[in-house]
Amino acid sequence: MKRVLAIIIAILLFVVFAMAFAKIPFGEQMSKYPHYYNPIENQTSNMSLPQHYLTYGKKDTGATNMVTAVVVDYRGFDTLGEVTVLFLASTGVGSLMYVENKAKKKVKRSNAVVETGSKLLFGFIILFGAYIFIHGHLTPGGGFPGGAIIASSFLLLYLAYPKFHAEHKRLNVSESLAGLTFVIVGLLGLAIAGYFLYNFLPFGLPTYLFSAGVIPVIYVAIGVKVGSELTGIVDAMMGVRE
Amino acid sequence: MKKVSNANRFLYAFLIFIIIWCGFTFSPGIKEEQFLQEFTAGIVLSLIAAAFSYQHLSERGLYNLSPHRVWWFLKYIPVFIWAMIKANFDVAYRVLSPKRPIKPGIVRIRTDLKNPVGKLALANSITLTPGTMTMQIIDDKYYIHWIYVHSEDEKEAGDIIKGDFEKYLREVFE
Repeated sequence: MKRVLAIIIAILLFVVFAMAFAKIPFGEQMSKYPHYYNPIENQTSNMSLPQHYLTYGKKDTGATNMVTAVVVDYRGFDTLGEVTVLFLASTGVGSLMYVENKAKKKVKRSNAVVETGSKLLFGFIILFGAYIFIHGHLTPGGGFPGGAIIASSFLLLYLAYPKFHAEHKRLNVSESLAGLTFVIVGLLGLAIAGYFLYNFLPFGLPTYLFSAGVIPVIYVAIGVKVGSELTGIVDAMMGVRE
Repeated sequence: MKKVSNANRFLYAFLIFIIIWCGFTFSPGIKEEQFLQEFTAGIVLSLIAAAFSYQHLSERGLYNLSPHRVWWFLKYIPVFIWAMIKANFDVAYRVLSPKRPIKPGIVRIRTDLKNPVGKLALANSITLTPGTMTMQIIDDKYYIHWIYVHSEDEKEAGDIIKGDFEKYLREVFE
């Protein structure tokens, strides 16, 4: 009975969502979307919001990756919120899992192939993560994937070496410094131009590495922050410490 | 094996990373100025990545780049690829043949390679040439799963499985 009820509810929900999705104009011309209200000029714009992003995004932000332009520049608060959520998650895991003297688990040594291989790969994965987050404004990727890649390199060492652990103090320091950088860049924007997270640095030429103003700076900060936070979560969950 | 200084190992890691970085960022149509910017960032990031991982990356530092080693490594690549092609056809034959000529088993062989990276390279070479798969390495003993056990003798099986690999890898890593 329960199962039948669950299936009926699931089907009903699916029908409702399908009907709602059918109303979304996929693949139509962007000019047909509703035009947005521009609070600065106090009038309705002559184009829709997605059209504005694609038309003026490069001029407004200097970034060639429009997703980055939206996430870090147009809607910077959103990213600040995401980073905060991740910070809270890592703090929460840390406080829940914290034990004064963790009993060392009896863990068997892993295979010699795994040990040597992970040692070799460690640096390369860090370099690749850095490559991803420093090119956030030019290529797909950005701070979050880059940081996750860096954390995965530490996870590799955690899995290959049962006794390995990253120093918690250093993780905390890098995490806090990166978070501070993000907020300070935002406050500098507030001081210079009157808007929090205002893009106050020169834009440079598009597709050049040193371009897009504050976006690369913020993405480096996010990359370091996400990397150290996820490493901290892994460290807390592994529970092996001497 | 003699100990090398940390600076030496750091420099080696940095060199490797900056080469990889150039591979990441260079493309034929890139403007000179643009590449210069990428290279500047690459130097900084390679320094950071090297600071994290130079102790893990190498034990011998720059001695890994001696011409003798690099030359033997370059010679090793075609040997390895040829062995891989041959072995793949061998496995295809074993799969397709109606007689099913398989006689699986696990054999133990020995190696005289000492360097852990050398051992890793040998293990991977054995695994990547189909028909054989490294299961475990304990000290100098390899435990290998073989699709057709030609010989159970440690030395004879080792000669068949390792082929020429060990000779080349000894020059590269020892």
